[in-house]
Amino acid sequence: MNQTLTIQKERLGTYLNQSFIEVGRATEFAIRFFKEAIRPPYEFKELLKQCYLIGYKSLPLVTITGFIMGLVLTLQSRPTLAEFGAESWLPSMVALSLIREIAPVITALICAGKVASGIGAELGSMKVTEQIDAMEVSAINPFKYLVVTRIMATTLMIPLLVIYADGIGIVGGYMGINIHGDVNVVRYLSQVIESITFLDIFPATIKTFFFGYFIGMIGCYKGYNAENGTESVGKAANSAVVTASLTIFIIDMIAVQVTDLFF
Amino acid sequence: MVKESGYQWKLGMFVIVGLFLFVGTIYFVGKQKNLFGSTIELYSKFNSVNGLAVGNNVRLSGINIGTVEDIEFLNDTSVVIKMVIKDEVRKYIKKDAVASINSDGLMGDKVLTITSGKKSTILINDQDYIRSKKAIEMDDLMVSVKKSVDNAGLITAELAQFSSSMNNGDGALSKLVSDKKFGNSVDNMVTSLEASASEFETFTTSMNNGKGALSKLISNERMGNSIDSSLTNVKTATKGLNEVIEAAKHNFLLRGFFNKKKKVEDKKLEEEQEIEEAEMKKALKMDQKNDSINK
Amino acid sequence: MEKNYTLQNSNPVIEIKDLHKSFGTNEVLKGVTFNLNKGENLVVLGKSGSGKSITIKCIVGLIKIDSGIITVFNQEINSLEIDELNKIRTRIGFLFQNAALYDSMSVRENLSFTLRRHDTTLSGDAINEHVLEVLESVGLKEAIDKMPSELSGGMRKRIGLARTLILKPEIILYDEPTTGLDTITSREISELILELRQKNKTSSIIITHDMPCARLTSDRIVILKEGVIHVEGTYDELEKSEDEWVRSFFI
Repeated sequence: MNQTLTIQKERLGTYLNQSFIEVGRATEFAIRFFKEAIRPPYEFKELLKQCYLIGYKSLPLVTITGFIMGLVLTLQSRPTLAEFGAESWLPSMVALSLIREIAPVITALICAGKVASGIGAELGSMKVTEQIDAMEVSAINPFKYLVVTRIMATTLMIPLLVIYADGIGIVGGYMGINIHGDVNVVRYLSQVIESITFLDIFPATIKTFFFGYFIGMIGCYKGYNAENGTESVGKAANSAVVTASLTIFIIDMIAVQVTDLFF
Repeated sequence: MVKESGYQWKLGMFVIVGLFLFVGTIYFVGKQKNLFGSTIELYSKFNSVNGLAVGNNVRLSGINIGTVEDIEFLNDTSVVIKMVIKDEVRKYIKKDAVASINSDGLMGDKVLTITSGKKSTILINDQDYIRSKKAIEMDDLMVSVKKSVDNAGLITAELAQFSSSMNNGDGALSKLVSDKKFGNSVDNMVTSLEASASEFETFTTSMNNGKGALSKLISNERMGNSIDSSLTNVKTATKGLNEVIEAAKHNFLLRGFFNKKKKVEDKKLEEEQEIEEAEMKKALKMDQKNDSINK
Repeated sequence: MEKNYTLQNSNPVIEIKDLHKSFGTNEVLKGVTFNLNKGENLVVLGKSGSGKSITIKCIVGLIKIDSGIITVFNQEINSLEIDELNKIRTRIGFLFQNAALYDSMSVRENLSFTLRRHDTTLSGDAINEHVLEVLESVGLKEAIDKMPSELSGGMRKRIGLARTLILKPEIILYDEPTTGLDTITSREISELILELRQKNKTSSIIITHDMPCARLTSDRIVILKEGVIHVEGTYDELEKSEDEWVRSFFI
């Protein structure tokens, strides 16, 4: 009895220890990104390629989800607002919830699924097949070429994708409103614009940069530190998605608090 | 190489369209809030801003013309509001314009409403202060409503008291309303009045048409003449008697008797007058008393 | 023997002294000491997991050593800054076990990738010329626009070799160059190794289990056992060794 307890205690100890080590290594990794990103030479071409792969190639997915988000949000909010006789607030409500919260978070989650897992798997397999080592022995900084470009690409592209999701979500909202009634486009858009302030746009936009950074960072970290063996590639991809999704929610929570604090 | 430029073209489009969307939104939102285009600043002092917040709309004749830029304490009792409004509406706002704070619907935001001045012809300038009207606060509204409710309460209470005393009291008015006996006696009185009226009718009829002395006295001409002549006779007789009495007065034998008689007669007259006066006074007092009770 | 010693004394390009490396509790290298002389082909033999690959990875600084001294071109690897280490790395070619071609790039991009980054002054045409040149030297000119996934194992190895050659290295480290290949292809690769040494005057360390390859390519052989160099000598010498364990490699 006593023995099993000590064993469990030891296990807990090693588990905690490993968690701390993991966080420490991830932090080191994150800091290394900034160091390497500043120092020349810059891999512009690879950055553009990654931007294309991460940003442009995710656009169809984001378009569909964004449209559905706007549509569903409108249809679901209508009965509640109608109960208060505030149906005229539907465009404002949909626009505000899309811009402030739903579009950034859902887009980030979609990209965590698509991009973080992709990066995790790609870098993981490169690690396992010694491609990263090969780069290093040919005196090319693999961190700069692989990691910095990808993290920069996600940091830049996720906000852009969120902007698309915002726009398409608002179009979806318009469709949703027109299922039940007939609202003029200009009237709808003017109501949407009227309800938005800079305090809705800027914190939400800044938040998406963090989402992007962490999606790239976690994907790269998991892939770059994959152990040997084919199995670890899948593990890296999986754990990249899970960790990135969780991190998105944590950042979102912090962002809300910070926004509350300063504005 | 062809492949590469292909992806770069797509990426470029992607980025440009995205940025265009973003900048467009910023521009339209900014336009809404008058961040672009020429604006002027106005100030207004308020005791209370009723929850008006930075970013709320400023309206003139119901049209949004600007936003509240800043709200600051001036001292412990007053707050100064800085508003930014479109320069193009400056020509509609005169020096005597008044700012007030209203609600935009029941649940809606507060709005700052500017009422354009009427008397003045001088336009406002940038950085001007305009007068403010105390906002209708819900609290104030409630205070005035409470006052009226209190008054109404007082009135109904008194009305209730009045009607209850009317129903149960002993006053003349209450008797008039509620006493059965009084009602019966009034009824009787009216009946007997009716009876006497009909009797009087027969009396007057018989008087006009009857053959009795009284009727003849009224209607018979001949009898009237004879009465007239007899009255003339009586007149002449009394005249003769008067002369006799006058002569007797002057007779010293009878002078004493006549003087005595005159004195007694004067005294009697005075007494009668006094009693009459007292009685009148009494009646007057009674009236006053009754009046005060009924009041 | 005599000849080898003169070479060793005259010009060692790699000197390894008392190299220790352990992973956790597993002590893999327990004091490895050997030299690589200029122009020499050194074959390292040993059982799987005896630390051969780790030793050559230590040489290029891929793995940090626990203790010992590794000197390449008279510079100690451990104490070097990353920039200086990279300068040495460009003079060393490293052929990985599975060639480690960059999957997302075509053969051309795989080859020009390194070159472009080390000589930024080169024009597109010059790079193309270099790429064709090294592809010709490994005999795979026609594969230039293929993706690594389209290549066979032997072709991958050759392309991998071409990639290491493109920077004209003075030392080439081969990590099991013939593993997973059929006998004929193995022989071709072995001949290619010899040919390249002839042409470029390179020194090489070759890790292998393949005895025909070792026989063909080796000037000298060292055998690793339990983390130390067990024996050293030419192919012929070791084949006739009195040590049964050593002889067992040559059966």
